[in-house]
Amino acid sequence: MSEGSFGIGIDVGSTTTKGVLIDSSEKVLASHLQNTGASAPKAVEQLLVQLSTQSGINPRDCRIIATGYGRSIVELAYKTVTEITCHSVGVHSLNSEIRLLIDVGGQDSKVIRIGQNGRPEDFELNDKCSAGTGRFLEVMARVLEVSMDELGPLALKSKSPSTISSTCTVFAESEVIGRIGSGESASDIAAGVHLSMASKIGSLSKRVGVASPVGVTGGVALNPAFRHYLSKHLGQELWIPERPQLTGALGAAIIALRGQKE
Amino acid sequence: MSEEKPYRRLESQDLLQQIAFRHGLEAMAASEEGRLAWVTSGFPVEIPLAMDVFPTYPEQAGAIIGASKIGPEVCGFGEDLGYSQELCSYARSSIGSTDRPEDVSMGALPTPQALLACNNICGTVLKWYDAISEMTGAPVHLLDTPPLEGEQLPHHRAYVRRGVDRLVEFLADTFNTRLEDEEATRVANLSSQAIRLWTKVLETCVNKPSPLNCADRFLTMAPVVSSRGMEHCVEFYEALLAEVEGRVKEGIGAIRNEKTRLLWDNIPPWFILRFFNQLAARGVVFPADTYTHAWSGAVEGSDTASILDGVSEVYSDVYLNKGLEAKVDKMCELIKDYDLDGFVMFSVRSCKRYSLGQLVSKEMVTERTGVPGVVIEGDMVDSRLFSEAQVQTRVDALLEMFV
Repeated sequence: MSEGSFGIGIDVGSTTTKGVLIDSSEKVLASHLQNTGASAPKAVEQLLVQLSTQSGINPRDCRIIATGYGRSIVELAYKTVTEITCHSVGVHSLNSEIRLLIDVGGQDSKVIRIGQNGRPEDFELNDKCSAGTGRFLEVMARVLEVSMDELGPLALKSKSPSTISSTCTVFAESEVIGRIGSGESASDIAAGVHLSMASKIGSLSKRVGVASPVGVTGGVALNPAFRHYLSKHLGQELWIPERPQLTGALGAAIIALRGQKE
Repeated sequence: MSEEKPYRRLESQDLLQQIAFRHGLEAMAASEEGRLAWVTSGFPVEIPLAMDVFPTYPEQAGAIIGASKIGPEVCGFGEDLGYSQELCSYARSSIGSTDRPEDVSMGALPTPQALLACNNICGTVLKWYDAISEMTGAPVHLLDTPPLEGEQLPHHRAYVRRGVDRLVEFLADTFNTRLEDEEATRVANLSSQAIRLWTKVLETCVNKPSPLNCADRFLTMAPVVSSRGMEHCVEFYEALLAEVEGRVKEGIGAIRNEKTRLLWDNIPPWFILRFFNQLAARGVVFPADTYTHAWSGAVEGSDTASILDGVSEVYSDVYLNKGLEAKVDKMCELIKDYDLDGFVMFSVRSCKRYSLGQLVSKEMVTERTGVPGVVIEGDMVDSRLFSEAQVQTRVDALLEMFV
């Protein structure tokens, strides 16, 4: 096996750690996603075992690019690249038409304008607060006593979404509790929560400039209510990859592979 | 043993430390003699100086508190008194260190006899100095310079000029002193010499490699802020100019391997100046910034009247006293003149006047210059508002755009 045959991308996010292993034709041979938990190095170690088991390839024989907030703790990494570049490259490889990418992860949301060459041209990230991130939805799901998987479908049942005006997660939580207190239905409140989040991310997108077609990635892309309200807010159809959480790791793997070929 | 750092230290820094030390001693002596005034950074300091009133700068003290990494603690002293965390961290740390000087290892200032505020940099300064006045008993005097949109109109100039006259009257009454022609001309002359030398120093950074990086300018700007109008300030900038011109002549840069040239916008995070040195290791230099270029107006004049006219113009026409368009123009001009590849805008939680409009100006600057930029968030003194990992990701992503 020659150096340059495989690439691994590891995306250490705030909530989950993702890994993708590709061969020289950029075909995915192995991929895995797991909770980051309290120890990021441990999560990376377990992830590499998974990639190795699935593909039969020793990760030490591959060039590894690390991305995500925990990128600097991946000891085996050849180098680190930000998730902004990795998501662009990853999405570009799946759908080269995408000009605007909205990635909503556990800790932040990013809006990236992707150039013809697949590299980011401009980007915006949400500010330090967790409003408009996966964490926001986690907090709201807990208050409404539903799982994350149930939250989106619950919201889609609503015909008259509640108004959630606070953008801060903590204040919005109090507001949701107030709505529960005033007898509004869980589905209306859930819809209001998604509406509020979609409008916050929609505004962030407009700051970068909405260019079609628009892609959405990150764990929150799996939530149907979020997609529904965001699509409505932007007036755009949204493209979602099959596994929206893995595009950062995929981009990192592609960068690892291409770096060796150059 | 030669441990090669990615950046080069300025020899003039030794002289800078001497000046800072001397300034501190002089301020203490002036306080004891009953002739110390605290002034804001955009105050026409030439006037008190020419009237034998010694100026010292709480904002600079805030920078020292920030650089000493005691910002959160000292700002906390101000918060203990009931001031909001939303208040400017220069104000909070100044109020905090005035309340508990014994608990502040660096940056507490000697007791003032007057507080001279000019609102050409922001409106907070007046309330902040009011608070200090309550604590120290020193009277506050405000020089009001209404914001400028475009050219300074005659009525604007006349209004500010009347304010400058009132300032002279206030100092004369408070300190029992007079403004004499000879002293006014001498101080104004020294001040404009320092400003001209400083401007020349800044302009050497158009060279490739740039002889100065951001952190160098943030440190060496101290005398032009605190001591313009004094002889040693001119001496310092003569020495600094000689050193940077020497660097240019020999093709020596502030950093060893200059690859990317960026513009910095806003006050720096004083508690983490290593941010610039870490980027230096990756070949990133900042040949220009909007902050140190703000001290550029020289007060010219051959007698008291013309000097006071000059003061009324120059101190109205400062960067922060102008509209968004002027800020965008300045950034575009610096990007063009210094041949910069991109820009970093620091959104400073404390400084609303500086940070307001950055999102819009980012778009406008990119549109006009074609170079990308990024907005990072934080504060200049209160490190609790700075998330290093988030800042890193944004700056790294900007750098990846140049690959």
